[in-house]
Amino acid sequence: MAGLSTDVLVIGGGATGAGVAWDAALRGLHVVLADRADLGEGTSGRFHGLLHSGGRYVVKDPLAAEECIAENRILRRIAADCIEDTGGLFVTTPSDDPAYAERFAEGCRATGVDCEEVEPAEVLREEPRLHPGISRAFRVPDANIDAWKTAWALARGAHERSGARVLPYHAAEAIHRRGDQVVGARLRDVRTGDELEVEARVTVNATGAWAGRIAGLAGIEGVRVLPGRGIMIAMNHRLVNTVVNRCQMPTDGDILVPIRTVCVMGTTDVHTDDPDDQTVAEDEVQAMLEDGERLVPGFRRARALRVWTGVRPLFQDTKEGVASTRDVTRAHTLLDHAERDGVGGFVTITGGKLTTFRLMAEETVDAVCRHLGEERPCTTATEPLPGSEDGEHYMLGERLARREDGLLDDQLVCECELVTRRKLEEAMRRRGTSNLDDFRRVLRLGMGPCQGGFCMYRAAGIMHGLDGMSAEQANAALLGFLVERWKGVWPILYGDQLRQARLDDWIFQGVLDVGHLRE
Amino acid sequence: MRRTLHYDAVVVGAGVAGLTAAARLAESGARVCVLAKGVGSTHLAPGTVDVLGYEPDGSEPPRRVDSPARALPAFVAERTDHPYALLGVDSIRPALEWFAERIEHGPQQGYRYLGEMERNHLLPTAVGAARPSALVPETMAAGDLRGTGPICVVGLHPLRDLWASLCAANIVRLGVEARAVEVGLDVDRPDENALGLARRFEDPGFRRTFADRLAPQLRDDERVALPAVLGVRDPHGVWSELETWLGRPVFEIPTVPPSVPGMRVSDALRAALRAAGGRLVVGAEVGGAERDGERVTALQAHTAGRDTTYAARWVVLATGGFNSGALALGSDWVVRETVLGLPVRGAPAPGARRFVPEYFGEQPMSRVGVAVDPNQRAEGLENVIVAGAALPGAEPWREGSGEGIAITSGHRAAELVRAEEGLGAAV
Repeated sequence: MAGLSTDVLVIGGGATGAGVAWDAALRGLHVVLADRADLGEGTSGRFHGLLHSGGRYVVKDPLAAEECIAENRILRRIAADCIEDTGGLFVTTPSDDPAYAERFAEGCRATGVDCEEVEPAEVLREEPRLHPGISRAFRVPDANIDAWKTAWALARGAHERSGARVLPYHAAEAIHRRGDQVVGARLRDVRTGDELEVEARVTVNATGAWAGRIAGLAGIEGVRVLPGRGIMIAMNHRLVNTVVNRCQMPTDGDILVPIRTVCVMGTTDVHTDDPDDQTVAEDEVQAMLEDGERLVPGFRRARALRVWTGVRPLFQDTKEGVASTRDVTRAHTLLDHAERDGVGGFVTITGGKLTTFRLMAEETVDAVCRHLGEERPCTTATEPLPGSEDGEHYMLGERLARREDGLLDDQLVCECELVTRRKLEEAMRRRGTSNLDDFRRVLRLGMGPCQGGFCMYRAAGIMHGLDGMSAEQANAALLGFLVERWKGVWPILYGDQLRQARLDDWIFQGVLDVGHLRE
Repeated sequence: MRRTLHYDAVVVGAGVAGLTAAARLAESGARVCVLAKGVGSTHLAPGTVDVLGYEPDGSEPPRRVDSPARALPAFVAERTDHPYALLGVDSIRPALEWFAERIEHGPQQGYRYLGEMERNHLLPTAVGAARPSALVPETMAAGDLRGTGPICVVGLHPLRDLWASLCAANIVRLGVEARAVEVGLDVDRPDENALGLARRFEDPGFRRTFADRLAPQLRDDERVALPAVLGVRDPHGVWSELETWLGRPVFEIPTVPPSVPGMRVSDALRAALRAAGGRLVVGAEVGGAERDGERVTALQAHTAGRDTTYAARWVVLATGGFNSGALALGSDWVVRETVLGLPVRGAPAPGARRFVPEYFGEQPMSRVGVAVDPNQRAEGLENVIVAGAALPGAEPWREGSGEGIAITSGHRAAELVRAEEGLGAAV
């Protein structure tokens, strides 16, 4: 069996885990980062894409609001390329309690969240699709952030700075203890079945909603994460170009986030016992469409591309006699198992939100350093991620500009998201994976209105042309993509998107007859 | 002022079903006008005539049909709601014969369809899967996977919609010897779709250069597979010239849309309609109807610049299903027929599953169509006859039955009108 030896093993490749890897690498530590799936495939990528200004929490949870605005300012510097500076609005629609607006404005002042009241008429000129009955509106520094791009930039940075090993599709099978010390873990490559032993001075459990399971592997009881699932719906256009929040207490269906070529309506909150619960309930879909109508009249007539479920981790310590190490209002929880359970070399970080991943990583690596008995200061608040060195935010027109540069010599593979053949081949060579969903996440291949109808056959053909790729692998990649895609499509298939899906069926099941590649 | 035009029959939709019904009616002496929002699904389909390719019987993937003629009687006996059960198996053959004749005598000189209902061809798709079709263009017939000779799949660099290496590798998996070669073309852009290439292949100089580049790469006994780009106007000329120059069988493989062979079908049927005195208005969206009791007396169409009323004794509704927008599923999960607001049949009950989570599974929403009587008449209306994908009960891409249903139902719609109107036999 193959083996690795490292300072820090991070289990969980979401924004937090990748952030821990980046932070630790900047502090000069050797890191192995493992996830059972692709980076950002769990909770991190399954959100609406919001970089919080903190506005959402100024009334309900002021401490979280303060954290958000502080991290928002930091991430705009260090992860500039992953962020599009759309700005945000809180608007009082006719369905919202008008009294909340005053509490909101006061909360912003108290927590330091930048906020400026604007005339509803001005907002409606900027965002003409919004409900014309808006009575008040506030501008806040919300933005969107690409979670997959962020996770990969963090991982790449960790690799560049201290040679971090990044292992997607490596599930933790066992966590090894020597007495009261966690000394590493056995990972299994879920694609090949190969096992890998990792010896680590400290192991970080950054598995969010799955943290209880992973802690259990280390023999630690009572780490209970109550997963709360919420659905998100991607619409095929940017119905708004600014993040729009309903100005009311946080509730279901209160936000519309424009991100890349789409906008995402979120979300619901339903408690579940299983972090792998991907249920999309019919009544939640209907309720969300109704909420969409409250923000953007006619929302139901727009094309809904896809729906997905994200599972947020809500931590509850059930170990007897142990108080939570954090104030309950704090959104994230760090468990130092040496203090809590007398088990050294093991730290759990859970809860939180994408906007605060850097802070969570900083606190986690501080704890790691305490375990190692080393003094290593954190520098992530000032060090830009790879690709963000110039401090320029992502602009929506970037891809079109790049595409126009290559117009005469580069083929276009995905028309919806302007993914070129060169870009795709480069990513395929770099990743060495045959999972087309991996390229969907990093390139947005197949994420547009046709949902892969035209590009996925091309991508499979291109992939097959690369060295060492068999027809079986290319077929499996294509079929796997279609099967996976459908899961997010069918629960919300109606209107013009059903027309689109029918065209895709004609292409794949009619013209290409891919179903019979299964024989 | 709204103008009113008078016809014996107005056909809505210019896909295979609509054009078949219209041309056939015009040939019988009826005054016919086709109103179409856009081009039909011909431009998306592979251009083959699939009558019955698979028998979805619960097995996955569905079992392949070798002989539609032999399989159909049992197929319809088990599926009394299927369009073929409604149309009658016996009505398929004459309809297909009519269709094949229209292509053969159409504007693409010498171009014809080969095959019969007794035996499906088994043609490779662009991904290299084997696809059963009853009638196929002569330009595709040599691709039958049960035929002899190894296959050389030719990739054309600017075309993104047929990947030769993957296609060839999957043909090998079917037990047929195959390989791929790439031929560079003198095309001044990195992307060119099938239609763009088809236009270039109509230039003799262009295809001569292509043949000269390909010939040295070929082995003695190989058949040559090309993306279906061998011309729109004169496919027979382009294809037979390449066969002569290369000295071997050449065949086309349908690409991802736009479909060049599909456009040929559309062109041929439009020509048949025109030749018989029929009229086609593309860009005419039907937005309402005038009724007199159980008869529709006129359709209102939005056309460029003005709205026009088309008064007609008969209406043939060949508008397609969800793919064309003729049927729409709302976010309230109610299915509506969007052109005339007709009742639909086959929709899952409220609260029942609309789709299943398995992508390749049978989707409950797939069989919805306009509710009709045994004579294809829309429920409650005496003079509206439904044809093609608007009919309920089929899952054409899973069954490989789309063109068979379209041609047969279009043909039979014309027959029904003819019988009622006492029109003469077709020319």
